[in-house]
Amino acid sequence: MQRIALPSQIDRVIVGGSLVAGAVLVPVLVVLIALLGADRISGPELVWWLLALIIVAAALGAVLLRNVVRAALCLVIVALGIAGMFLLLASEFLALVQVLVYGGGVTILLLFGLMLTNAQDDPVVQDGSQKPFAFGVGIALGAVIVIAMTDATWNTGTRSVVAFRALGDRLYRDFGVPFEVASLVLLVALVGAIAISRRDRDEEEVA
Amino acid sequence: MIPLENFLVLSGILFAIGFYGVLARRSAILILVSVELMLAAVSINFVAFASYLDPDFFTGIIFSIFVIVVAAAEVGLALGIVLRAYRERATANVDEANNLKW
Repeated sequence: MQRIALPSQIDRVIVGGSLVAGAVLVPVLVVLIALLGADRISGPELVWWLLALIIVAAALGAVLLRNVVRAALCLVIVALGIAGMFLLLASEFLALVQVLVYGGGVTILLLFGLMLTNAQDDPVVQDGSQKPFAFGVGIALGAVIVIAMTDATWNTGTRSVVAFRALGDRLYRDFGVPFEVASLVLLVALVGAIAISRRDRDEEEVA
Repeated sequence: MIPLENFLVLSGILFAIGFYGVLARRSAILILVSVELMLAAVSINFVAFASYLDPDFFTGIIFSIFVIVVAAAEVGLALGIVLRAYRERATANVDEANNLKW
């Protein structure tokens, strides 16, 4: 247990990350507030730009950082930013689910996975030699998607907040069968995960 | 009102970042982190389309719920496999698991 230096690492991550984030975010916030004052952008757009910057920066951290614990913690920031995006898109339920499932469950699972494999001995990983190729392919894919998305014209209608009651009606009435199938998928996946990761010694004892 | 293209471009960039991570990382768990990024990008796309183009039926939000369910199931199962592979081979790097390489 003494080899797991997680608490001090998290301290350093929080302090260092806050300093870097503050240094980057404060000028951006000043520029955005100036634009807001000049009526160039609206209030929601200000929030959007801030969230987008945080999400992209944290996503880059999640794929670029060499320290595995920091990379996994960057995923929390991405998940919380995306929950904010869901709030901007007027779907509160998804924002709550996003915080609970991604910010809580998935990240804890990933951190446990890191701790149970090699993070305690060697928290710094080397990426593969295919990095330049991956970089080129990633840039190309992103460029194609962005060009396609901006090139198309969408006839956007009016937006309204999706009420919890309406969402529940739609989910349980119209999508009842897929909902049950999804619960079955979760059950099978989790039982399968236990069956796969069980130790051989226990299997011998049972047999 | 925020233009729909903003959300679409953000989700495209996020998807490309996750794609880069899947290709460049060697540790299986970091590949999972990148897959989560891609799934989250798709989620944003679904919700943006549901909110802007289909506000009466919001099917995209339902789909996004299913995406989250599948992502949770996938992480649980994949971590089980990774832990098993780590116990067998003492490594969590995907390019060292080459038993099937011919």
